[in-house]
Amino acid sequence: MFERNQKTIFVLDHTRYFSISSEQYISMDYLKGKPVPESTASGNSIVGTQLSKSLWTCAVESSIEYCRIVWDLFPGKKHVRFIVSDTAAHIVNTWSPSTQNMSHVSNAMMMVSVPSRSIPQSSDYSVIHGLRAAIEALAEPTDEQLQAAHFGCKQIANEGRVICITSARDNTSMKSLEDIFNTVLLQQNALVAPPAKKGLQIDHCHLVILNIVPLGVESLVTNRSLLEISPFLNVEIHTVNAPDISDKLLHLIMGHYDLASTTVTNIPMKEEQNANSSANYDVEILHERAAHTKVCGPDFNFTTSIKPGTAYETVTLKWCTPRGCGSADLQPCVGQYNVTPVDVTSRPSSCLINFLLNGRSVLLEVPRKTGTKTTSHMLSARGGEIFVHSLSIARSAMDEAPSIIDGPGGRVSDYRIPEMGQLLKMSRLVPLKAKPKGKLAQGEHLWRRLPRYFPRTANVTILFNLQRQLSWLPHFLHLIVKEDMDKQDEVRCQQQIHELYKSASRGDLLPFSNSNNARLKVSKTKDQYRLFYRELEQLIQLNAHTPHHKNLLESLQSLRAAYGDAANKSEPSSAHLRSYTESPLSPERLEPTNSMSSSSSSILKASKRRMSSCGQRSLLDIISSAERSQSNKRLDFSGRLCTPLGQTAKLYPDFGNKEKDILTTGIVSSNLKDESIRS
Amino acid sequence: MPTIIALDASLSMLRPVPGRNDHTYQSLALKGIQHLLDNLTASGKLEHVALVLYTTVCELKVDFTRDYDQIRQAIKKIDPLDKACLLTMLKTSVSLMATWGTQNLLQLVVFTDCGPGFGSTSISNFLEGYAGKEAEPEYAWLKILATYNLNFICLGVHADLYFTRGVALHQQLLDAAALKGQLFMTKPVKNVETGDSTPGCSHKSELGRTALFELIERLCDCSYKSTEVTLKCGLYFRMEGQVLLWPPPMPYEQSALYVGDPTIRHIDQRIDVCGFLALSDIGSPATLSRHWVMPKVEREKPTRRSGGLAAVVKPPKLTLDTSNPHYELEKLEQDIRDFYMKDTKEAEESGDDADVSVMLKHPTTPQAEQQKDNLCVLLHGALKLENMAALVLLGEKWYGFMYAYTDLKKKSNFMLNILPPGSHVIPWLGDLELLGFSTDLAPGETASFPVRAERRSYSQSSVVWIRQASLQSDVQKVLRHAKKMPDKTQHFYKELNRIRRAALALGFVELLEALALLLEKETTQLTLNGVSTECTLQLQHAATELRKTSNRDIKSTIVPLQKATAADTTTAPAPAQGGYLY
Repeated sequence: MFERNQKTIFVLDHTRYFSISSEQYISMDYLKGKPVPESTASGNSIVGTQLSKSLWTCAVESSIEYCRIVWDLFPGKKHVRFIVSDTAAHIVNTWSPSTQNMSHVSNAMMMVSVPSRSIPQSSDYSVIHGLRAAIEALAEPTDEQLQAAHFGCKQIANEGRVICITSARDNTSMKSLEDIFNTVLLQQNALVAPPAKKGLQIDHCHLVILNIVPLGVESLVTNRSLLEISPFLNVEIHTVNAPDISDKLLHLIMGHYDLASTTVTNIPMKEEQNANSSANYDVEILHERAAHTKVCGPDFNFTTSIKPGTAYETVTLKWCTPRGCGSADLQPCVGQYNVTPVDVTSRPSSCLINFLLNGRSVLLEVPRKTGTKTTSHMLSARGGEIFVHSLSIARSAMDEAPSIIDGPGGRVSDYRIPEMGQLLKMSRLVPLKAKPKGKLAQGEHLWRRLPRYFPRTANVTILFNLQRQLSWLPHFLHLIVKEDMDKQDEVRCQQQIHELYKSASRGDLLPFSNSNNARLKVSKTKDQYRLFYRELEQLIQLNAHTPHHKNLLESLQSLRAAYGDAANKSEPSSAHLRSYTESPLSPERLEPTNSMSSSSSSILKASKRRMSSCGQRSLLDIISSAERSQSNKRLDFSGRLCTPLGQTAKLYPDFGNKEKDILTTGIVSSNLKDESIRS
Repeated sequence: MPTIIALDASLSMLRPVPGRNDHTYQSLALKGIQHLLDNLTASGKLEHVALVLYTTVCELKVDFTRDYDQIRQAIKKIDPLDKACLLTMLKTSVSLMATWGTQNLLQLVVFTDCGPGFGSTSISNFLEGYAGKEAEPEYAWLKILATYNLNFICLGVHADLYFTRGVALHQQLLDAAALKGQLFMTKPVKNVETGDSTPGCSHKSELGRTALFELIERLCDCSYKSTEVTLKCGLYFRMEGQVLLWPPPMPYEQSALYVGDPTIRHIDQRIDVCGFLALSDIGSPATLSRHWVMPKVEREKPTRRSGGLAAVVKPPKLTLDTSNPHYELEKLEQDIRDFYMKDTKEAEESGDDADVSVMLKHPTTPQAEQQKDNLCVLLHGALKLENMAALVLLGEKWYGFMYAYTDLKKKSNFMLNILPPGSHVIPWLGDLELLGFSTDLAPGETASFPVRAERRSYSQSSVVWIRQASLQSDVQKVLRHAKKMPDKTQHFYKELNRIRRAALALGFVELLEALALLLEKETTQLTLNGVSTECTLQLQHAATELRKTSNRDIKSTIVPLQKATAADTTTAPAPAQGGYLY
């Protein structure tokens, strides 16, 4: 979890020596448009058109470049700090994520600026202050380490790397620097021990000393590769000319973070001057080495080369002209890694970057031994970040897939796929800022909200097949599955259930769309309502979130009874009712029974409630609804009258005669509404 | 799980099996291969199988194929050759397997009489040479072999010392090279003391076709079992079903969060659909593995004697169970189905509502299975229609996604991609635990993919002057704008400030002076060419400002000279001292 490269600290020597020039001159002469006549040119012109960076500038720009790469490739994971040392150590940033970014560092560096040339040489000015501060900084925990401690982790691994850019006179002074560092490190670890308990124990530190000198100056300090000073400390020393320090750090960073370089070759780019032709360019990018090693196979090799001026290998992959390959295409990807261009400001780099940031992806080819080529990698950008995807190029055991339609269930033709599609679109996930409150364990809050009732095929549902024909149905179904059904919703649903009962009483046929319905047997009209009721009951039961649902369920069960369909769920329903009557939300409800007379009274009650609760209704509405409920009552009664005692009332003996008329009038076309799907 | 079937073709395989005059070891091995192929056929013919024969040399008879008949043909004539050399075969297998890469679990099934080998090619000789040289490159192939799953079908009887010695050596080899291997052999017969039974009799029960087939079935149970899980898509009981994942997901070794040993993780027995995402939003994230998702079907085990007991069993009638928690719903579905059926068939019996049939037929034939609706097919169809994927929860903080995948031959199937464990595995989707439905959003809030990362160096206008050319081109850009003032005044100052800030951050004060000089030179030149005074005024102003030490502060910005446009006098005045706005 906490590797050595998790913490890196740059210690920048800010003593007087660093104000001197690096002695590498940059010409600005070519910038002149036409040669300026001698007479008008000022005497300073020679100085002005040639300039040189100071050692300080070289140190700052190369160390900032180092952390640019780190932060691009390991956002939020690897941390880099800067400490500037002169008469004291100046802390540029902390381990806190808010200061771990380029703009914070460069703003802070603005205030530091180049060391003044006028300050006197004094022993007060030293890089030692910075090294001491670096060791203290290593002992400070990062946010991740604090979190580990918070989770009760006792042994928090704590390693780090200090890169010190300084300039020493000779090996002796370098040796003393090393010794002091080692002593301070031991002292710091002693502080961690129980009495003081300051910070974290430093398990290991890797000290990289870059001894820089201006161009053309010989240093008395000898290079030294990694040497173990103590079990806690490894030191390496490099002497470099100031202008080469960036190359040195680029070389070092490859090892520090196990990076690899890929050169994308053959990128076609239009020239501004010559829009018709395009020249090919190369762009070098950096990423984790694993992007190469994850892709492996016996019959191809990565072509590697070493670019002039560098000391590391780069793998050459060929740009594959994208053929309608959007970044949407799902590639078999075994690893994805952030990338960053080596030269972020060059024109080829920015062309490639912009191409990718605009949403297109690029496949990269590797030659196979057989001479054919395979796309081994893909570059694509998402959310403003560019990734290299390592593609799986080995043979897959999953070629020649069996088709799903040849498998079980493959030949069923009436799956409710369009409705399922609607459901998919409605249950589409979006990124939230925070977890929705009051929900359950991880992931659970999501699937709990998928439908509670969803018949798989069209031939096992009546409700959903009628949605197109009954215009009120989609909205009704939507209301029923609402988790937070309120009084008003309930009233609306009650009304619809009531309407449905009325059309059932009239013997209206349900308007099925399929043609065979035309031949529907007379005796089946009863069936269709019974099944409709039963399905509706199941739907409400599965979605019973509120007391309002329970009310609906009860009315429906009463209606089923009224329609001569025995409510075989009497036990649970009475249980529901009990819980309902105890609910403070609806105190005006009557004690229900299972008899037919009570069913009509419940309808009456419902309509009364509607009367009292709805202020906007007209007088006509109120009267007509009251009359409706009266007529209902009468209807029930006459039905019972016609039937001998002990038998079920046969209510509508003259169904068949009306059949044809009703069929034509009953069909109401309406569009399938989305809301109705979620049930 | 690509498999190599390796058959020992040495002369010793031609010995008759003790007590079984009708069988040699080889003929028994061939029966075993047949039975293995029968088993693989029964579980869907998904495995790629290759056949090699080995003696002192190793010969690839049939390359990897799903057409098992090729192998059945190939084993019809086996020419036995000298002696067996197991190691040659293992080494050859490694190179044969190479095309499969590391994404697949590779298997080896070896049919052998476990001969220890002779002389330089013997196992013991190899073990002697290998000891202490594990890290040497000549043994590197063993490291690769260690990732395979080795199965040895050991043909022999325990009373045979030659066999038991050979088995012991095989085991030693597995241990020494840390190979994942299993030796399948018959159980030794215990009741040897019963005096009257002839040795032949006891052998007969120990190694014969039945015993061998048991070994093969044990092998299939261990190594070729597909993973069966419950797929759940919401609370409705029909939106839940048993599915098979093939190839079986491999266990994932997850390193401990902070300290401790890594844990081996398996996906849960139930995988929940959390919600849905557009495939275009998902992109191509890194996945651990891909699997086919297939509806589970009750298959009959392949009968050992083909045609023996293959009489068609009458499908038992299954009445709906009233104790089933979903009895009500199942009955309703059945009733509705009947209701529609009677519509179409115009059932002769008058639709008396009282006796609706609640009988369900138990499906046994493949045709019946194809006719039975299935969650996988429904979900696949909808995902394909909408070009979406279902995000599924596979375990604690472990996700995957399922989608319809159409291959090059336009065959479409249902796939599961298993992501690495963790909720932050796809950067552009953000934290997967923070996904929700749009109804969870606060009113007026919008959310969409991708989740944007902080700006990286390449998506902001970074200044890097490590190469001289980039410094020069930045300076050139300022000068280009300078020439085009007053049109480009804003651009000029924007670029100027960009350079100035970068120079200050790098402590590159030399550049400020150089830039001031360049601007002054430019002024002189422009004056000579009689370019507008506005331009020269601004350049002069900029040069002066660049030199001011008071401007070397983080907060200061050089702003255009405001007076210049107002003072449209023909004579160029010196830049006004107090006329700038800060």
